[in-house]
Amino acid sequence: MANSLRLYLTCIRNTLEAAMCLQNFPCQEVERHNKPEVELKTSPELLLNPVLICRNEAERCLIETSINSLRISLKVKQSDELENILTKKFLRFLSMRAEAFQVLRRKPVQGYDISFLITNYHCEEMQKQKLIDFIVQFMEDIDKEISELKLSVNTRGRLVATEFLKQFI
Amino acid sequence: MACFERASPALKEILLRLYRDERTIDVDHHLHEFGSVEYYIQSTVSDPDRTYLSISTPILSQAFLISTRLSRYTMEKVKAISADVLEIMEPPKEGYQLTLRLNFARMPHESIKTITDIAAVQGVILSSQLEEMLMNVNSQDVAQGMYKPIKLVYHPREPFYVIKQPQKITAVFPMRFKEKTDVIIATAFFQELMDVANSKACAKAPHCIWSPIPPPELRGEAIEDLSTNGGFVSFDITSRHIEGKRLDKTVWNLLNFYAFVKNHVKSTRGFIQRRMRTCLKSLVEVLQKTGLQDDQQIKKVKGYKRMKKLVNFSKSKIFRYRSDFTSKLKRIRSRLKIHGFGHFRRKWLSFPNFSSKTKYRKLEKDTSPQHN
Repeated sequence: MANSLRLYLTCIRNTLEAAMCLQNFPCQEVERHNKPEVELKTSPELLLNPVLICRNEAERCLIETSINSLRISLKVKQSDELENILTKKFLRFLSMRAEAFQVLRRKPVQGYDISFLITNYHCEEMQKQKLIDFIVQFMEDIDKEISELKLSVNTRGRLVATEFLKQFI
Repeated sequence: MACFERASPALKEILLRLYRDERTIDVDHHLHEFGSVEYYIQSTVSDPDRTYLSISTPILSQAFLISTRLSRYTMEKVKAISADVLEIMEPPKEGYQLTLRLNFARMPHESIKTITDIAAVQGVILSSQLEEMLMNVNSQDVAQGMYKPIKLVYHPREPFYVIKQPQKITAVFPMRFKEKTDVIIATAFFQELMDVANSKACAKAPHCIWSPIPPPELRGEAIEDLSTNGGFVSFDITSRHIEGKRLDKTVWNLLNFYAFVKNHVKSTRGFIQRRMRTCLKSLVEVLQKTGLQDDQQIKKVKGYKRMKKLVNFSKSKIFRYRSDFTSKLKRIRSRLKIHGFGHFRRKWLSFPNFSSKTKYRKLEKDTSPQHN
């Protein structure tokens, strides 16, 4: 793993460990309602300062915390058109299957490629440390998968081109 | 419209069936392919050995069109498929460019191969037209130092140009795609095609250039033909590529280039989708391991030694233990029994029966015989 990526991921991991201390908190506006405060943002006293972690201009992670929920938004690097289309296709594919992930948001926050929403209920059902591990691994896997996909598409193209041109010889 | 396989699969199947089966009814088939190719197959019970096959296919270039009929070169090529079996009918059926009379009685031993060749007649017509053009283009097309491009249309949305120059023939393909994803995948492919064509391994292959803007040879062509989203791919075909048997291969490859690129784009999209599905599975597995219950369950299994023993028991032993256990439970939960208490309870502790006034008492029917 590249050194800068390791530092970036460690920083995100530490921030998540600090931010993920969620508790049950009923809605202050509507009786008998329990909503993620980070989404509604109705009571400023229930929100913490958002943390923005940037690896470079193209890659960044926004962590927004509230008393009962946590929102993580990721921007994945897209160096060229092929990477851009692969990233969009892949993250859209995952977002459309958000129910399989439980913590994945169907629509990313504006300016980001993918978002997660973790509530206190998720923290009760899952182990906090493993949840953080999942987020970090997800980021690693996405980077790796997109690079591999790009490489595979180019390799396939090269093989097909060779086969086509061989027919003339 | 070209296809990877020269022989039309549907036409081949129909002809094979006509050849093998004994006919009891007249056959009259109309077959459409790629929207613009039409086959008409006719056979009668009275003359089972003779089958009539008519073909209507778009003309590749209007510039070389003398009449609606096919050229002599094309006719010769068609005849060369199998001179014994097929005969060209003059004039062809109305609405068709070519009508063939097939005599199955004269079929050679390699019947399947011959029928496959006959089913590829549309491919023969198409490639022979292009072959003829490449051979017949002469210096009269030179105008103001530029060589006039010939527009070939075998599909309304996929025209391509052939430009004959002193030492080479340039085929230019304007590439158009419906979706942006297709454009990007195809662009990556064209760049690879350019790299491979310039490499030493494919030094004998035609020189290939991809450019997002139209090449200078196409100057003066209609703007709608030059507006593309996938750029222009040019192949420089030299004399070595059209020598002898190579001519047929080169022509077929050029006619198939669009289909080849589209197939590559489609299969690449499928490949990306498969990879994404695999990745999704692995990511979901990681998330499933985060559950609290997993660890607790593991601990429980480790802690209860009795459970392990119970698993090793035979079925009969388990049933015996179960019956013992249920009888014990019954004993524990049953009420205390005191001898004579039942009689005491019925006499002193029972509630009297009250009869309701609204209800009536049903009288029993007197079944005894009446005496007068």
